[in-house]
Amino acid sequence: MSTGGEKGSTTTKTPADFLKSIRGRPVVVKLNSGVDYRGILACLDGYMNIAMEQTEEYVNGQLKNKYGDAFIRGNNVLYISTSKRTLADGA
Amino acid sequence: MANTNPSQLLPSELIDRCIGSKIWVIMKGDKELVGTLRGFDVYVNMVLEDVTEYEITAEGRRITKLDQILLNGNNIAIVSKSYL
Repeated sequence: MSTGGEKGSTTTKTPADFLKSIRGRPVVVKLNSGVDYRGILACLDGYMNIAMEQTEEYVNGQLKNKYGDAFIRGNNVLYISTSKRTLADGA
Repeated sequence: MANTNPSQLLPSELIDRCIGSKIWVIMKGDKELVGTLRGFDVYVNMVLEDVTEYEITAEGRRITKLDQILLNGNNIAIVSKSYL
């Protein structure tokens, strides 16, 4: 049975591949609460537990706090994104 | 032959067919995403590329563009091929 994404295609990238590829990169982590954390991803695991460095906390797009080192428990994570990003507000 | 019978199609196979195409993900709680599906796992965590995130807030619709994301499967409600 397929476990998903095992097609051998060059474009296929499973969650496990993604986790391996982003360590040490600048990322944006969004929590279920809507709060964003931007920083350098130090370490993460299959539960999406995350350790970040130079972390900035954004609430409603505004910088609210900074943390040198931060640990985020995986159950709160909505998504992990690579850092290139633009914002737009629509009606 | 079993594959031609729709009732024999596993849900995960349906998502597997979407790899490489634009999909529309509806989350629990006024949030939707459109992006190209790169892969997924048994929890339906997804790797999406060129993502547009739509959040419905009291002030209106907030749109966020994202390069590549790993989306937690926990809050996914519906997945569909996108024709946008």
